[in-house]
Amino acid sequence: MTAEPDEALLRIVDLGKSYRSRERTVDALAGIDLTVRDGEFVTVVGPSGCGKTTLLKIVAGLLPASTGEVILAGRRVTEPPADLGVVFQEYGRSLFAWKTVRQNVELPLRHGRTGRTERRELVAEALDAVGLAQAADAYPWQLSGGMQQRVAIARAIAYRPKLLLMDEPFSAVDAQTRGDLEDLLATLWRRYAMTVLFVTHDIDEAVYLGQRVVVLGAAPTGVVAQFPIDLPAVRDQLDTRSSPRFGELRAQVYAQVRRTPEPTAPALREVNS
Amino acid sequence: MTGHRGAALLRGVSAVGLALGLPVVLFALWWLASADSTNIFLPPLRRIVEAFGQVWLSDVFVRDVLPSLRRLAIGYAAALVVGVGVGYVIGRWSLIRALTSPILAFFRVLPAPVMIPVLLVAVGIGDATKLIVIALGAVWPILLNTADGVRGVDDVQLETAAAYRLPSWTRHGLILRAATPQVFAGARQALGISLIVMVVSEMLMSTDGLGFTVIRFQRTFAIPQMWSGVLLLGVLGFGLAKIFELIERRALRWHQGATGREESW
Repeated sequence: MTAEPDEALLRIVDLGKSYRSRERTVDALAGIDLTVRDGEFVTVVGPSGCGKTTLLKIVAGLLPASTGEVILAGRRVTEPPADLGVVFQEYGRSLFAWKTVRQNVELPLRHGRTGRTERRELVAEALDAVGLAQAADAYPWQLSGGMQQRVAIARAIAYRPKLLLMDEPFSAVDAQTRGDLEDLLATLWRRYAMTVLFVTHDIDEAVYLGQRVVVLGAAPTGVVAQFPIDLPAVRDQLDTRSSPRFGELRAQVYAQVRRTPEPTAPALREVNS
Repeated sequence: MTGHRGAALLRGVSAVGLALGLPVVLFALWWLASADSTNIFLPPLRRIVEAFGQVWLSDVFVRDVLPSLRRLAIGYAAALVVGVGVGYVIGRWSLIRALTSPILAFFRVLPAPVMIPVLLVAVGIGDATKLIVIALGAVWPILLNTADGVRGVDDVQLETAAAYRLPSWTRHGLILRAATPQVFAGARQALGISLIVMVVSEMLMSTDGLGFTVIRFQRTFAIPQMWSGVLLLGVLGFGLAKIFELIERRALRWHQGATGREESW
């Protein structure tokens, strides 16, 4: 154990992931060190195919690490840990189409310690928080893409996770909806004091949302740089994005990502799927 | 408002007309063409319809039709239970799939009626043999389709269920529910097969049932009665398919919505 202050919620230590096939071994991730403080909003950017999704899946306990370890709230992650919420990019595929919005949000709560009344309240509050109180009895496929992703966010919030993992959650919706969802997420983060680890390929989004931006390099992927984002705590799509400081930070991150060569090995494309 | 209702009514009428139009026309053609038939093997439809009333709307219904339906129901239900259960296991675990796929490939192409002589020797001439043959014929489409459906369940759904630590029985339930479109596709095929195997097994080895009765009429040269049995089987098959369709449409409403295939009929 290092002398890390105990406010570190998540510690990723020397994490590596390699895929072995008969012909060769592909190192997707190597030597990743990252600490996320309790209540922090950390965004992760990197070139496409660099293994961002793989990293999130290992943190979520959905994939085993090849080397190193992930420690969440003092416990080593070997399976999906408690108090962990996830929102994936493919909202349409992560919701259960035969369940209503309410049933989808309620599903993870049905097997915990929460009683029926409390469960109802958590679901109602979460749906209200994402602005879907009216759509509780609709089916996901009756909603637009942006609304479906709100359902996935509501499901995560109702679960009251300590850590919320988000894998490019807004990359499949249109620009206007995307801005709305970003602001919604920022509001929810402050309101529920969650810790968020947010993966994206969009540098603007990473700077706009994060308190800290982590840049991943090309494969074998490690952390190549970290940028603290000293923008005001409460941000605004118009003011923040047009502020000089935002431009500077964006340029710094952009320059860093550009310096990282694109992955060349075609085998690496499989890593994401 | 009345205009709307009138249009809806008209649509309903035209839908029924489309569905029944051709059968009615064919029936009428058959009726007219066979009216003066003197061929004893192709009696006038009028006589077949008369025979239909005399034969089937009597105690024959209880003696012969109900046993057939009972066999069909039991055999089909057994095929459903076994097919969905085994199909789930095969679809879910690749090792079991690899081990069983050669055997499955063999048995699925084996026509079920060929097992009748074998089972006659092994099990005897009783109801059990018929039930086994019906189940044996119906189980394959259910099993293979279920395995396909289970195997094709979306990874993102599985990962979501795993990340939220849903207990394993809940996850099995979700996977099976996600596979229901394929399960129903298999069950629909299996329904037709059960009906065929039921009739064949009754023709070969029975002392009651629809298949037996049709054969008995044929052997006693009760030709219009024989034809009426054929007619009854057709009606039965059609009715069962319609009932199945209703159930399927209710159970898979979400699937039609999610895939954008809202069917209008």
